[in-house]
Amino acid sequence: MRQRIVVLGGGTGGTMLANSLDRRRFETTLVTASTTHLFQPGLLYVAFKNAGTPLVRDERGLLARHVHLVHDTVTSVDLTHQLVETAGGSRLAYDRLVVATGIQTDPSGIPGLADVVGRVGDYHSTVSQARLLWQSLDRFRGGTIALGQTTPICKCPPSPIEGILLADELLRRRGLRERSRLVFFTPYPRPYPAEPMNHVVEPILKERGIEVATFFDVDRIDPESFTLTSIEGDVIECDLPILVPPFTGAPIAYEPAGVLDESRFVRTDPRTLRVRGTGTAFAIGDATSLPTSKSGVGAHLEAQVVARTLRGSPATFAGRTHCPFDLAHGRGTFVAGTYDAPVVPSPPSRLKHVMKATFARLYWLSLRGTLDPALDLYFRLTDPARPRWRGLRGPHPGT
Amino acid sequence: MDTTTQPPRTLVDSRGSSCPGPITDLSMAYRRSTVGDVIELWATDPGVKSDARAWSQKTGNPILSLDERADGTIVVIIEIKRR
Repeated sequence: MRQRIVVLGGGTGGTMLANSLDRRRFETTLVTASTTHLFQPGLLYVAFKNAGTPLVRDERGLLARHVHLVHDTVTSVDLTHQLVETAGGSRLAYDRLVVATGIQTDPSGIPGLADVVGRVGDYHSTVSQARLLWQSLDRFRGGTIALGQTTPICKCPPSPIEGILLADELLRRRGLRERSRLVFFTPYPRPYPAEPMNHVVEPILKERGIEVATFFDVDRIDPESFTLTSIEGDVIECDLPILVPPFTGAPIAYEPAGVLDESRFVRTDPRTLRVRGTGTAFAIGDATSLPTSKSGVGAHLEAQVVARTLRGSPATFAGRTHCPFDLAHGRGTFVAGTYDAPVVPSPPSRLKHVMKATFARLYWLSLRGTLDPALDLYFRLTDPARPRWRGLRGPHPGT
Repeated sequence: MDTTTQPPRTLVDSRGSSCPGPITDLSMAYRRSTVGDVIELWATDPGVKSDARAWSQKTGNPILSLDERADGTIVVIIEIKRR
């Protein structure tokens, strides 16, 4: 008898996992509220480069034919009785559940933020919001741009730095840099939160004349004057605020409720990826409480671990991250680490920028698992725990 | 019966989380705190020592103690005086 697998969420992790389960052994149902699938990293280039590459595809077309697709909003998950309920009235019983519901922006907790983001745009939510941000940048003729994450939790940790560097590149290209002040603010003690990578990033910000305000956790924003005030008591006044909104988990009621943390992330075992306290549910991707970066690569590798476990070969997740990092002006780097091999600095290069662009083009193929053999090999060769890879990265820039 | 009123203590368990996990968890706990609260941060990443000191200096919330236990857990206790 086939196992009934219910996958919640049609993002990177959910789609990859559903596609990887064999129809002879599994009866797979994927539940997603959206009929479309967004390539989220592409929003950066819509917002800062007015890129026209289509970022959205129909979810049905990305799924293997045997995956049963339910377009509906999940309202509750009863982990005790193994039952999922939807807004449309469906009740889905499961043998194994995989939560891949991602995260969403939630500007409601910071006074003034929803108003500002609604007027200026942002590059962490939707294509229309990213286009709005491009229009704001396109109109900018000089003054102060302040860019940063409003709270410490951020999907794609490199993205705030990528944003300020691409803003700098745009202003230089337009001859507006001399008339502009760029301020990068962060709730962390340093521009890039992981210290080894900060040794790469901080000199670049300095070289490009970008001011940095550390320990700046946004408390409130005056939507008229664009004045940002931090909970630490500091103030930044600007003409164009580009803000990474706070993120929360999906608004789903769980039984037991204790599986969610304060930010509505699902408490997940970092190695087995089982939802804490359960034997039949797993969580992958941005929806989890895992102590690692929220990224597509993480979701991809976590989906592989859960798929292997479901097939009867229990696997564990090493906490691997491998985030492409655009440093503007055609240069890039990667942030790679695991739970046991923390991030080490990776020197910027043009090749890494090309690799980032190539990965973006291959994204849609990777959802079907077509590229898994090549990607598995790449991840093995670039494993931060491998001595050879550490050597390839070259000496620590600070030494 | 002990009638001493203890300030609310929030335990933030960041053990196993590497940089910047502990300072992320501390910042999120600070965001939810009120003046008079005490935050007890548990971490295993050694970077938490310098980060917590810098955070304390910046925010004006004193570190009451910073100890490393035999099992490697670093325990930072912070009193919230400014918010």
